[in-house]
Amino acid sequence: MPFSNLPLLVYIYQIWEEEGIEAIETWNVGEQQELEGDEESKLSIALDINSTCAKVAFVIISKSMNSPTPQFVPSRLSIYEPIHQIGIWGENFKRNGNPNTSTSLIVEVDNKLENESETTSHEMLAPTNNYEQEASKPIDKIQRRLAQNREAARKSRLRKKAYVQQLENSRLKLIQLEQELQRVTQQGLYMGGVLEGSHIGFSGTVNSGIAAFEMEYGRWVDVQHRQICELRTALNAHISDIELRILVKSGMGHYFELFRMKSTVAKADVFYVISGVWKTSAERFFSWIGGFRPSELLKLDPLTEQQILEVCNLKQSCQQAEDALSQGMEKLQETVSSTVAGGPVAEDSYIPQVATAMEKLEALVSFVNQADHLRQETLQQMSRILTTRQAARGLLALGEYFHRLRALSTLWATRPPEPSLP
Amino acid sequence: MQEAISYKSYMAATAGGRSRLHNFLEGAGNGGEHRLVANGCENNVTKLVVENAVIVFGRRGCCMCHVVNRLLLGLGVNPAVCEVDEEKEEAVLHELSVTNGGGVQFPAVFVGGKLFGGLDRVMSTHITGELVPILKEAGALWL
Repeated sequence: MPFSNLPLLVYIYQIWEEEGIEAIETWNVGEQQELEGDEESKLSIALDINSTCAKVAFVIISKSMNSPTPQFVPSRLSIYEPIHQIGIWGENFKRNGNPNTSTSLIVEVDNKLENESETTSHEMLAPTNNYEQEASKPIDKIQRRLAQNREAARKSRLRKKAYVQQLENSRLKLIQLEQELQRVTQQGLYMGGVLEGSHIGFSGTVNSGIAAFEMEYGRWVDVQHRQICELRTALNAHISDIELRILVKSGMGHYFELFRMKSTVAKADVFYVISGVWKTSAERFFSWIGGFRPSELLKLDPLTEQQILEVCNLKQSCQQAEDALSQGMEKLQETVSSTVAGGPVAEDSYIPQVATAMEKLEALVSFVNQADHLRQETLQQMSRILTTRQAARGLLALGEYFHRLRALSTLWATRPPEPSLP
Repeated sequence: MQEAISYKSYMAATAGGRSRLHNFLEGAGNGGEHRLVANGCENNVTKLVVENAVIVFGRRGCCMCHVVNRLLLGLGVNPAVCEVDEEKEEAVLHELSVTNGGGVQFPAVFVGGKLFGGLDRVMSTHITGELVPILKEAGALWL
């Protein structure tokens, strides 16, 4: 057969896509089709080459060996009906064309060919090279077979499409899972340490609080990503300020929600929040009291002079507040350290010191809450200083920044291992 | 520069002895000064509030108090600080609440004789820029 199979398949695939032909009945491709005697089945595909269906091709293939070259026999073309697997005639193709018009399209494959393989249409078209048989052959059988072949081809195409779609989804999922896995591995290392340390039975509640947070945070990141994409398209599309305001508000609210989540899990285990294992490794590098530094929010360029002044003031206030909190943290460290170290070392009992230290560590929860409170206030003040559009751009920049940090973490995690030294 | 609390001074502080000032200033870092007013004297608490432009009430050794103090010091305010003993805590809180209509929690900041709020309020007003004018008005800040 002079035509290569694959391009032909593509052409047929495309024309079917464009025309949207659907058969109603499904058909069991694997079913044996009986050939009567030595009847050779006809294979004809109507190909139409005109300006609208430029991708259609005609191929006529038949099982008999009479003629090696396919020929165009438009006059023989007719509409065939697909056959239900129990032999019921189904509805015809939607396109009902005059066979002689340029838009009719029929795909018919030899039964035997298609029985050999149900997944590749091109095999159905392969071996035969003859075309048109005598019209005296029982049309019914031929029609039936042709319709069945059409159906098989259609099903094959649909399967291929579904498969490609599935591949794409799996690819995305794989990337997500890898990131998740990395997070969980870090978490697993941390939890291993925690469980070893706490022989008391609180680890159960701690774990569940942390597990709940992990799940919620995973969702939070997904929603965050979606919001960033929405913001980006909205800014590029120049939507109205009112609509932009809604997006800005929901973006800020999303951050506030994260602070609420953190507050809850901080009560369960404040060290978990402070250690930042729930974040990716690159984000953790910048971690300050369990999150990002509020001054990192102030990265953008305001426009008016008034704004420059206000942002400058905000930057200063933010810095002062951060410093105050940092110093408070240092004092807490000192206090806890001296409490743990205090008391007579010669004796073996340290329970009072450790218990006292535990009490003092309660203050850590307040620090996390205060830090988040500062982040929230800074965000809100920024939204007051900026116009809606600037705020939207700012949120987009912030979200994109963290997104890139996460990507950096993933890249870092998948870097090639260093060659081990002998 | 941070100094570890020396064992001796720590013992002195926990023994309820004299230099709470020493204990409190230990974590002061760059050596800011705040006036330590009184310890656990519930009788003249109201007087303290009235007398001082800015006064911070808190538990002894409370790190949140420390944060408030650092912040105020950074602004150029010299806040009076009242460290409250644990046993006197309830009484002090009660008295402060009575004269200020409502639940007072440590750390509590009083500006110009009136209850200003806790660390939350101080932070948010600082970020919005409202804190400095309020302090100026109360006479806690010059310039």
